[in-house]
Amino acid sequence: MKKLLFAAAGVLALSLPAQDAAARPTIEELQKRAVLDDYEANVLFGYNIVMDSNRYAPRYAGNALRCSSCHLDGGTRPDGFPLFVAGVYPKWRAKNGVRNSLEMRIRDCFLYSLSGVMPPEEAPEVLAVSAYISYLSYGKSIGTPPQGWGVPTLPETGADPDPARGQAVFRRACTLCHGADGAGTAVAPPLWGFQSFNAGSGMNVVPRLAGFIWANMPMGAERSLTHQEALDVAAFLHIQHRPFDPREGRLRKLAEEIYHGLSRLFGARAPAAPTGR
Amino acid sequence: MSLLREAVPDLRWRRSVDVRREVAAGLVGALLVIPQAITFAYVAGVAPEYGLYCAVFVGFLASLLGNSPMVGGPNTAVSILIGLTVLPFAGRGSPLYTELVLALSLMVGFIQLLMWLGRAAALFRYFSPAAIIGIKAGVGVWLIASALEGATGMGPMTVKFLYEKFYIVLAGWQELVNPYATLVSGVTVAAGLLLRRRWRRSYVVLAVLIGSIVGGLVYGWLGPVDSDLELLGHVTLDALPFRIPTLGPPHWLFLELAIAPAIAIAILGLAQSLVIARDLKSTVAPHLDLHKEVFAQAMANALGPFFSSFAGSGSFNRTAIALEMGARTPLSGMVAALAVVLIAWLLGPVLTYLPMPVVAGVMVLVGIGMIQPRELRPMLNRIDGPVLLVTLFAVIFLGLESGILVAVTASVIFFVASASQVRLAISHQGEAEHIRVTGNLFYASIDRLAKHLHANPAAVTSLDLSRVPFRDATAMQLIERIQRERVRCGGKLEVVEEG
Repeated sequence: MKKLLFAAAGVLALSLPAQDAAARPTIEELQKRAVLDDYEANVLFGYNIVMDSNRYAPRYAGNALRCSSCHLDGGTRPDGFPLFVAGVYPKWRAKNGVRNSLEMRIRDCFLYSLSGVMPPEEAPEVLAVSAYISYLSYGKSIGTPPQGWGVPTLPETGADPDPARGQAVFRRACTLCHGADGAGTAVAPPLWGFQSFNAGSGMNVVPRLAGFIWANMPMGAERSLTHQEALDVAAFLHIQHRPFDPREGRLRKLAEEIYHGLSRLFGARAPAAPTGR
Repeated sequence: MSLLREAVPDLRWRRSVDVRREVAAGLVGALLVIPQAITFAYVAGVAPEYGLYCAVFVGFLASLLGNSPMVGGPNTAVSILIGLTVLPFAGRGSPLYTELVLALSLMVGFIQLLMWLGRAAALFRYFSPAAIIGIKAGVGVWLIASALEGATGMGPMTVKFLYEKFYIVLAGWQELVNPYATLVSGVTVAAGLLLRRRWRRSYVVLAVLIGSIVGGLVYGWLGPVDSDLELLGHVTLDALPFRIPTLGPPHWLFLELAIAPAIAIAILGLAQSLVIARDLKSTVAPHLDLHKEVFAQAMANALGPFFSSFAGSGSFNRTAIALEMGARTPLSGMVAALAVVLIAWLLGPVLTYLPMPVVAGVMVLVGIGMIQPRELRPMLNRIDGPVLLVTLFAVIFLGLESGILVAVTASVIFFVASASQVRLAISHQGEAEHIRVTGNLFYASIDRLAKHLHANPAAVTSLDLSRVPFRDATAMQLIERIQRERVRCGGKLEVVEEG
């Protein structure tokens, strides 16, 4: 009896590494399964949110974008803001000046890029996306950024980004999918306006946006633009109208405006600008 | 046949209905149920829209099938129990979690239908009011404790005992507590408590309004990042959220494991509804059929999951308000249910920015409302007092499920104890002894009489049993045995039944 138990334990011990080495199930396999454990169900929920944020996370999503609008191919494409980055979190970020857990980082995306309501860190939607990210990170390096992280940083071109030239490039290369007014079409997301990312999001930083455009746009003819063209288009997008940066308290802004208006009106009372002396 | 009569809607109330009053009561009810529905959805761990669906569909069906002005819909104790039951099986609020909540509600509905077939309304008579009040007060304490995380802007805590939460918050407040969230929830609670004296009906709505204004100012001044205030988020209401509850292998497995809690939820829901219904029967609706009311609640819960609603029951506070507004028929409940759709749809964009600490504040207010000194005071007698205290402590320290079992047991024990009180009036007429017994003679109450009769086997006694409505075999056998013993010893025991 005892022998049998040992034998069973042995078989179990042998089978464990074998199971470990087996490839993780693909999303398609998970979708076909009748029974999922909690982690797998969560991964699938996360995948659904990434592919269709408005349908699966309606409570917190705020615009017409979805996670996969920027995290291309459901976050699997290198140089297209891939999501297989669980290995580098928690990490310090300059954006909010604190150490960010993966969940904290995800809720930023809801607030800025999806221009919605910031979910709490333990919201089911956040935990699901977090599970999906760690699922994608299977086999990637831990502690160092994986290959193809973020977007490429473009080299110095020697010329400033020019929105006017960018507009020309936009008309030539982008309008087919994104529409002449940048409001998006059935195949591509809106680039500005109230249905796009807000002024506080990472996409609103010109060098990063330029890197994304150069590496991934136009779809089907990636890396066909020059570095300078990508920078110009990015600058053109940057100056468009989009939702405000939610980090600024609107009421405080309003109070500041009123204060400045009043101090301009009563010029004598306003503190004098420092002079060179 | 009578079952069929109970199962089809009885619309006889149409003949004598004051439509204007009913509609007014319904509209006020709808306004009041919205904060509660959102709060109870949060308590049950599902998205806010499910609470609204529950208010709409469970409320409507319960009123349509029932025959009283009782207002149904989301219920505190039921929501807490649903949350506690499903939490170990799935991530709170995830799609699987929601499916399990609906599957559980379906099972609760069917258990209640079985209880209807088993004529449960008669059985629930033995559930003592003291136990119900004890459960209510205990649920109030639970609700206040579960509001703590939301009120202080913390993540959910898992603790073994309720009071650990208060300790954790007090010990680590500097790191854990978000001052802005605490401010907003504090203002909501304080406003509610102050306004409760003046506006007994609508103080919750006013408190929500004031809390939201303060929350909006804080949020507007500091922005979402600095204030870290959690908002409700978009409430996506479907006009007809029809769905067939998913019942795959994991759901069946869950249902198998959740039978005991489901029975507890079913009992708790029906017990509360029946307390309300019995109250209505004795006051405004003398022709109310309790069995029909059980059927209405059961069917509403069984059909609710097909409209994305979790289980509910009759609501003490909303029914009281409807009565105060002059509601006398099920029409007010139906109007309230339909008006919820309209109001929630109109409020939709504003609701998005409802700060969650306000919801936590509503939880505290509802919790305080459930601990009513007015209700507790009459219970401080020898029979109700112990039942109430035992139930209350069991609910707080052992949890709701065990608390219900304790409540039933305590009700029965103290009922038996009170029923076994027997009074012996002993008088002497010369040699003869006359004993008049008042009370029930049965195995539990026979001791004193037996002891007295055994004491002097030679005496001549006439035993007056005319005031003994109930006597069991044990008692009668004992009397016969003593009669034989008396004959042996030269005494006599005569049983008389004087008119």
